[in-house]
Amino acid sequence: MPALILNALKILFLLLLFLFLWQIAGAIRVHIGGRGSAPRGKGATELVVLRGDVTKGKRVKLRGSGHTVGRSPDADIIIDDPYASDFHARVSAENGQTRVEDLGSTNGTYVNGRRITAPTGVVKGDTVQIGKTMLEIR
Amino acid sequence: MTRNAEAVLIAAVATLASIGVAMVQFAGGTWLDADVALTFIAFAFTFGLIHLAFRAWAPNANPLILPIAGFLAAVGFIEVFRIDPSLAALQRWWLAIAGISAALVVWLLRDSGVAVLRRYRYLFLAAAIGLLLLPLLPESWPIHGAVVNGSRLWVRVTVPFTDIDLSFQPGEVAKVLLTIFLASYLADRSEAMATVSRSIGPIRLPEPRHLGPVLVAAGAAFLVLMYQRDLGASLLLFALFIGMLYAATGRGVYVVSGLVAVVVAGVVAYQQFAHVRVRISAWLDPFADFTGAGYQTAQGLFAMGSGSLTGSGLGLGRPDLIPEATTDFVFAAVGEELGLAGSIAVITAYALFVTVGIGIALRCRDRFRKYLAGGLTILVGIQAFLIIAGVVRVLPITGLTTPLMSYGGSSLLASALILALLGRASHEERV
Repeated sequence: MPALILNALKILFLLLLFLFLWQIAGAIRVHIGGRGSAPRGKGATELVVLRGDVTKGKRVKLRGSGHTVGRSPDADIIIDDPYASDFHARVSAENGQTRVEDLGSTNGTYVNGRRITAPTGVVKGDTVQIGKTMLEIR
Repeated sequence: MTRNAEAVLIAAVATLASIGVAMVQFAGGTWLDADVALTFIAFAFTFGLIHLAFRAWAPNANPLILPIAGFLAAVGFIEVFRIDPSLAALQRWWLAIAGISAALVVWLLRDSGVAVLRRYRYLFLAAAIGLLLLPLLPESWPIHGAVVNGSRLWVRVTVPFTDIDLSFQPGEVAKVLLTIFLASYLADRSEAMATVSRSIGPIRLPEPRHLGPVLVAAGAAFLVLMYQRDLGASLLLFALFIGMLYAATGRGVYVVSGLVAVVVAGVVAYQQFAHVRVRISAWLDPFADFTGAGYQTAQGLFAMGSGSLTGSGLGLGRPDLIPEATTDFVFAAVGEELGLAGSIAVITAYALFVTVGIGIALRCRDRFRKYLAGGLTILVGIQAFLIIAGVVRVLPITGLTTPLMSYGGSSLLASALILALLGRASHEERV
């Protein structure tokens, strides 16, 4: 058998092996909730609760007047989280700019893991942590 | 990922296995024969059957464990076929039996779930110790032990009124049973074991009565294996034990004291046992005694060296020159014929298996399920690490089978049990 063909076959087989593993790795990434499908950037339209117990508003469309997040039954997004204040934070979208604002909560609001002290601009793909609840801007 | 995607990936695994077999035959100049079709059927049957069992009795099982396991089994099978087609023919039967056993386990646990295993932990412990002791039965009995390569690990059964001998390695299944025992025990006691009750200097220990039984169990298994000169299995068992203790308590002191114990035991074993000294010197300098103790390691190194980046091509190397190339040294055979690229593919597959397994464990809310999934994953991961590290001379040769890849029914059966339990545990988590 010509060496060239055998070599080509060998490389082809190795490629097949790695193609298979690539498929699996991709599936694992989706499985463990990698951010592969939601690219970061502009055009944020939604606020989604990734982790935590939500009584109301697991997924809301952002609006200009904003949403309040907290434990109070009057909040727009009601989370059942002992570490959250009644009105904990507000997420608003004005002129295409999405902002997160802490409403003087006890335990603070974190954007991408950093505690915020003033209204903070966020983009698609950023995470917002309130108590033990994790939200994502999409 | 859905069950359908799993089915597609399993079909891909069966195709990969038969393509590999076809390439081996192609390179050998023989035209393709029934082996290609039989290989496809064997893989499709084995993993298809477990897949169907998942569909029927564990529909939410993680869909990735089967394809990854199938991939490893396929790569291993191709090398076994390349080295000895008649052994591969037997391996196809072992695969089928393993598939049936896994499906059977999934079926048995259909209503009760893995939780039922928790209640019978001492039964599993007794069974594991019993299995480990089986090879010590005297030669004159119908079921008796046998010494292979200086270790007394095998059991031979002579089927009555015939001359047929069946042999198996009970230790393989015993490991899985011990994992079930440890998971169950730790699920009941992990909190007590994580709390510190007394200190000796900087070392803080939990209440001895919590640690006692599990130490006795591990010690007993350990002693039996030392007596049988099975260094690999004793090391594996010890690593499993330490890994599970750490997983259950999150206390690093167990890992540190475990490592210290391994070093101390290693030094003592080096001074006390000649066969340990031989292993160590063959590890440090395999070429010093090239025709003797270092021969296997050296041949493995030559094989992987000649394989270079992309290997000699399937069927074009000489992996048959490596002793035990179908079991312990199957990784060296892959290194020769598929090169560094193929070796990396194999290691990647093990890494993905561990990723998925630990992922299942992390997601479990129930302690027993968590420790069971974690322990079984640790078992496969550590065993793969120990034997591959031995082949590439990172560690001394420990003489373990390469999980899922090696030729051998006992090893495949143990892997099948692990797949069934992992699948079932992940299913229960998502109900």
